[in-house]
Amino acid sequence: MSTQVHANLTEEQVRAISDELDEPEWLLETRLDALSALSDLDMPKVIRTPGRDWTNLDALDFESFVDPLEGAEQKERVTAEGAEVLEWSEAVAEHEALVREHFGSVVDTQENYLTALSTALFSTGTLVYVPERVDAEDVKIRTTVDSRSLFNYTLVVTETSASVTILERQSTGDEVEGDRYYSGIVEAVAGENSRIQYGALQNLSEETYNYTLKRGRTDVYATINWIDGNIGSRLTKTEVSTELAGDSSETQIVGAFFGHDDQHFDLDSKVWHYGEHTTADLVMRGVVDDTARSVYEGVQYVGDDAWNTSSYQRENTLMLSDESEADASPKLEIDNHDTEASHSATVGQIDEEDLFYMLTRGIDRESARNQLVEGFFVPVLDEVEVGELRADLRELIAARLRE
Amino acid sequence: MSSEQEDLKETDTEERFAFKKEESSAFKTEKGLTEETIRLISEDKDEPEWMLERRLRALRQFKEMPMPTDWPGQPDLSEVDLDEIVPYIRPDIDTRGGVDEWDDLPEDIQDTFDKLGIPEAEKKALSGVGAQYESEIVYQNMQERWEEKGVVFCDMDRAVQEHEEIVREYFMTKCVPPSDNKFAALHGAIWSGGSFVYVPEDTTVDMPVQAYFRMNSEGMGQFEHTLIIAEPGSEVHYIEGCSAPQYAAFNLHSGGVEVFVKEDAHVQYSTVQNWSKNTYNLNTKRAIAENGATMEWVSGSMGSKATMLYPSTILKGRGATDNHITIAFAGEGQDIDTGAKVYHNAPNTKSTIESKSIAKDGGRTNYRGLVHIADGAENSSTSVECDALMFDNDSTSDTMPYMEIQESKVDVAHEATVGKIGDEDVFYLQSRGLDDDDAKKMIVAGFIEPITEELPIEYAVELNRLIELEMEGSLG
Repeated sequence: MSTQVHANLTEEQVRAISDELDEPEWLLETRLDALSALSDLDMPKVIRTPGRDWTNLDALDFESFVDPLEGAEQKERVTAEGAEVLEWSEAVAEHEALVREHFGSVVDTQENYLTALSTALFSTGTLVYVPERVDAEDVKIRTTVDSRSLFNYTLVVTETSASVTILERQSTGDEVEGDRYYSGIVEAVAGENSRIQYGALQNLSEETYNYTLKRGRTDVYATINWIDGNIGSRLTKTEVSTELAGDSSETQIVGAFFGHDDQHFDLDSKVWHYGEHTTADLVMRGVVDDTARSVYEGVQYVGDDAWNTSSYQRENTLMLSDESEADASPKLEIDNHDTEASHSATVGQIDEEDLFYMLTRGIDRESARNQLVEGFFVPVLDEVEVGELRADLRELIAARLRE
Repeated sequence: MSSEQEDLKETDTEERFAFKKEESSAFKTEKGLTEETIRLISEDKDEPEWMLERRLRALRQFKEMPMPTDWPGQPDLSEVDLDEIVPYIRPDIDTRGGVDEWDDLPEDIQDTFDKLGIPEAEKKALSGVGAQYESEIVYQNMQERWEEKGVVFCDMDRAVQEHEEIVREYFMTKCVPPSDNKFAALHGAIWSGGSFVYVPEDTTVDMPVQAYFRMNSEGMGQFEHTLIIAEPGSEVHYIEGCSAPQYAAFNLHSGGVEVFVKEDAHVQYSTVQNWSKNTYNLNTKRAIAENGATMEWVSGSMGSKATMLYPSTILKGRGATDNHITIAFAGEGQDIDTGAKVYHNAPNTKSTIESKSIAKDGGRTNYRGLVHIADGAENSSTSVECDALMFDNDSTSDTMPYMEIQESKVDVAHEATVGKIGDEDVFYLQSRGLDDDDAKKMIVAGFIEPITEELPIEYAVELNRLIELEMEGSLG
């Protein structure tokens, strides 16, 4: 299976984008390599069971919504004291060595068709650089997409014993006729004993096809915590993952989603335990209403040398409508026996008894349902350590329930 | 060494599975797979025309289908060279469809099955025994009182002759069509032997019926077909055991099992699989359960080099129930990829899957399972539990469940754990005077107990013994 190549994508476009950002030669080369690799690359893997594709990416007509030179957006970057939060042209100007060291080091630029496409075409990017021992509390990156397509790139680097909390939001601004496409690649490199907390809230318009890949790698004693909220978009294919490379490092991946109408969410949470004494905790909760469909794949891999690890995963989906669908595949791949690994997944509806109880208390059916759904999200919201993100997520969920 | 181990040494279990006989056959096809071979097999069996046509159609489908290669983490099948397989060997006995008297069997076959404990089992607790040697059933017996009630238990080839209409309706049509997968197609082309079980309405066969399959020749493929039809309100428990001696070349076992569980009927299908460790065990087993019916799969997979087996149940009728119980044990060089598939296609259906696996000495186990709840299958529930135990760092233990839920009024739960044998548990048992080996054996026995207790006692004992034998290899 090989994917369609864009007849309308050219080297000149890639050169123009790179030139606009004043990029060094090596980065341009990386982009061009990615462009020429497109024809040999496959779409990101999706789950297939007999007779069914859980998500069909090949059917997407990228031609119609990729507009390489028209990446319009509004970007708001809030920086915290001691940290540097730089737009891409500044990043390559001021920290070229750092960017060169880490760009493409966590996510292979040619991992699949969509990462290569993003590498070739990203026109906006952010570097978050937190030097040794700096605590950066409130970094914010807000992206508002105004064009048909936008390719976004984020690199987070924390040095030894640094820590950072980043809150990222994607939404759409100006209306555009027809379908849109948003692509975001995030690489997080956590140095020794550093800590990255990365919260993201995706609320793109429901004409937007969304591909995001967020992946981090930990050094010794480092921590990467991801929080990923998915509310918007028409189709989302996303992976949030951590490579626990350093001994005694840990990660938490918390996800929440709420799909309605004909939204399709394909959400992957993955952790690779490579180092010893590593710990992972994957939590995902979501709701599907109307004809929405959720697809969840969770992978916990424990490598040969990953002694004494703990790895937990739980996923719960609540179905509000009979026409919705919830698919889940929580996987364990264990190559070292010195582990404690478990996962659990449930799918169900609102508990009739709970609903009945609330009705007897004089609450009308609608509010009772809303409160129960909000209650369903509490266990994940409690895991969200970023106050602002928690509040926003709660608000969006409440708004969707009362539409 | 403890006395328990001494006892174990004196049992003949190891011998029972290690010996092999000189192959002697009346009719043996050439290696490989051609239309000519299929015609020869069908002719040798004196089959009706429609069966030959089904075989040939399956062969065509087989040739068109690709080998499965894109399953995540699937066992390596590159060694399976279908041109090297001898698809059909008829043992050298006079009676087609098996003999009814044990003493009529040739001595070497008698001896083989004696060692496997077949006649003993029959004497003790079984209502019928069928034994298949190479491609054909060599011995088949059903206790008279069941025959009087209209219960049929005979070999599949005889069923094609004597129960043609039933076989024609059910054989690889609605349950496992050859187009299902490459190995089902292969099976459809060259199947031979196997069992046919027919239980009339409201009849309860209260003792298990048993079949034993054995491959004795090198480079042999065994493709037995089992068809079970349980009419409304009936009940039957079918047990199969499998073994083969060890040869250098690989063997291929690609059986087909179709079970029809009619309204309110109850079928239990138990397997203890101990194929030699050069066997590729690629089976298709499926049941269709009607209203209020219950299907139970109990599987122990100890043998084979690679197993890909996912017994499946289609819960077609309202209120139908499925239970899966599987144990997999993978030692050195083994890749046991097994699990369950359940399709909830009607309201109020229920499934329970319990899987236990043990990996040691570089073996790999994988639970691969699919639960599908169709839109409209309201008030259905499913619960999946997978537990895996790992002995060492060379082994691999994977869990790959898939859940597809298209109905909201459901209760779906999946849980899985993977861990090692607890040092503290071993220490505790050692402090009680057990040595390290015995402690581990006891922990393993405890780990799989929820499953062995579902098996008839002879099988539970055999399964435990097989596991003890497996463990002795490395622990001793």
